[in-house]
Amino acid sequence: MIGDRTVLSEKGLTFYDKSDRVALFFVGNTEKRKNAIVMDIALGCVSMTDKLILGFISRMPGFSPTVTKVFEVCNRPETSSHDLNKVISLDPVLTGRVMKLVNSAYYSLGKEVTSLIHAIILLGLNTVKNLALSTAVLESIGGMNSFRSLSMDDFWVHSLGVGVLARSFARQTGIPVTEQEEYFVAGLLHDLGKIPLNHCYPEKYNGALEAVATSRVSLHEAEKMVFGFDHCAVGGLIAEKWRLHRNFSDVCRYHHDLERGGSVNRHFVNIVSLANCYANHWNIGSAGDAPPKAAVMEHLQKMVGLDPARIAAIRENVLEDIENARIFLQVATEG
Amino acid sequence: MDIRFWGVRGSIPSPGKNTVKYGGNTACVELRFRDPQRIIIIDAGSGIRELGDHLLIHERDRGPVEADLFFTHTHIDHIIGFPFFAPLYIRGTKLRIYGPATYDEDSLEKVIGSQMSYHYFPVRLVEAAAEMVYHDLKEGHFELGDGIEVTARYLNHPLLCLGYRFEHQGRIVCTVYDTEPFRNLFAEASGSSGSDDRTADEGQIVADRENSRLEEFFAGADLLIYDAQYLQKEYESSRLGWGHSTVEYAIAAARRACVKRLILFHHDPGRTDAEMDALTSVYCRSDPSGGPEILFAREGMQIEV
Repeated sequence: MIGDRTVLSEKGLTFYDKSDRVALFFVGNTEKRKNAIVMDIALGCVSMTDKLILGFISRMPGFSPTVTKVFEVCNRPETSSHDLNKVISLDPVLTGRVMKLVNSAYYSLGKEVTSLIHAIILLGLNTVKNLALSTAVLESIGGMNSFRSLSMDDFWVHSLGVGVLARSFARQTGIPVTEQEEYFVAGLLHDLGKIPLNHCYPEKYNGALEAVATSRVSLHEAEKMVFGFDHCAVGGLIAEKWRLHRNFSDVCRYHHDLERGGSVNRHFVNIVSLANCYANHWNIGSAGDAPPKAAVMEHLQKMVGLDPARIAAIRENVLEDIENARIFLQVATEG
Repeated sequence: MDIRFWGVRGSIPSPGKNTVKYGGNTACVELRFRDPQRIIIIDAGSGIRELGDHLLIHERDRGPVEADLFFTHTHIDHIIGFPFFAPLYIRGTKLRIYGPATYDEDSLEKVIGSQMSYHYFPVRLVEAAAEMVYHDLKEGHFELGDGIEVTARYLNHPLLCLGYRFEHQGRIVCTVYDTEPFRNLFAEASGSSGSDDRTADEGQIVADRENSRLEEFFAGADLLIYDAQYLQKEYESSRLGWGHSTVEYAIAAARRACVKRLILFHHDPGRTDAEMDALTSVYCRSDPSGGPEILFAREGMQIEV
């Protein structure tokens, strides 16, 4: 049984649970589709076969705030490795593509590459530079109204904020220096799945965002209502297609799923999930999420082993890092 | 295995009176197996033209040419001889062509074939009579049949470039060119970031690890063909990041990896025969401590492994 009450309106099909909360919502579905949808969900058959999304993932462009800087850095005769590293690390899509290249080309490496520094040294400046340029010449996300429902700038700040927070939490919990960057990358990538949903189905995605604003559902629950799957599933699919390291795909897939155990590196995912909570709690950008639930934050803090006072102490540093990133990018935009 | 060098020069063919002895053709190495007879060709630099002619003229009795052609990468000096490999135009020729895949969507066939298009060459690749099958390679290990095993390993070059390790009946031949030692690209401070030290430390760890990993790749080789385009002083003065190694580094790496015989390869186009002779007298003396035998590659040189 999916819901205790079903309402079919002009907007779509809504399932309510016993407490009269929205359990599932489908935009634009007719009565004729209702039974098929109910059957699909009941059988667990909802799968990611959306051709529009799959096509978009295969040629996902870079982010508009970073694209100008990518051109500037990469078109210099002597590209600075520091600047190349920095500009890529500010773009979730570009970071993902570099990770995809290094891990698909170098599949025989004993340990997969999870740090951009490692990837740049391994691939060489020239290859990374050309990859960045080839991504930048595609119509950027955020340009030409392609980022239609979520605010591009807010999304970018949120992704960066979660990256910076995750790296700080890793440092605070005693993760070795050489592994801390992996947490930053994971934070940067965690919401990748929202990009195709938002790009390919802006109206539907608005429906999900409205559901978050008007009811007590979280965004990933609202996405499930609208699409039948959420950004976690799409993010997991991207990570799989890009052959990202297992830690990254776990973060994309399970950062809202605190129960999942098994082979998941739970501590790694928990740190990024907690970073996500705090980015939302402190309103560092926005990726459309509802404010985090206190119980979830407390649970994650306990699991990670950090108390709120220690976390609060890094807030200013995080904001400063983001501001510095913004300045770095604006230098290109203006110059 | 019998190895024959048809082209040993790097960057651009460099014929002339100063390169007569060591040769001016760009990279092409032939590996010949006797039992059963197999031909492996590594790279189609300008040297492959003479190899093709040799096969057609002197080995006509063996029937159509059948070979495995390995490209280390697709920079021009390694593919420029391909359209001039005469067996391409002979019906019955069979070529299995291998090379590194890159990040873009262009296949190996398209990249190599692009020089056989209207603007560059009068014959298009599709008009070649040979039967060609392309295999895009990544790092990995595979078998070629007849007991020949190949391991491919990415090198450090401004284009994805593969080194190859061929093993047959307990003998090992490795090609490690074009490559430059992995180096810490983040060693110098950027002047704008507080995370420079951490970045530099990680960069050093990564560079050291990758250099060790590459040495493991050619460890114990009976024959190692290594990029030695520069001398250390030339490299340090202005050639960092160009994707080539030095004579000094190649020798040190071969020693560390207990290689039995080192062939210094991919000579700079400006290196004269006189200079090569002088370098030979310095670097190719027998090593009483048991290090590898060292030779500068010379066009036409034949070695049995």
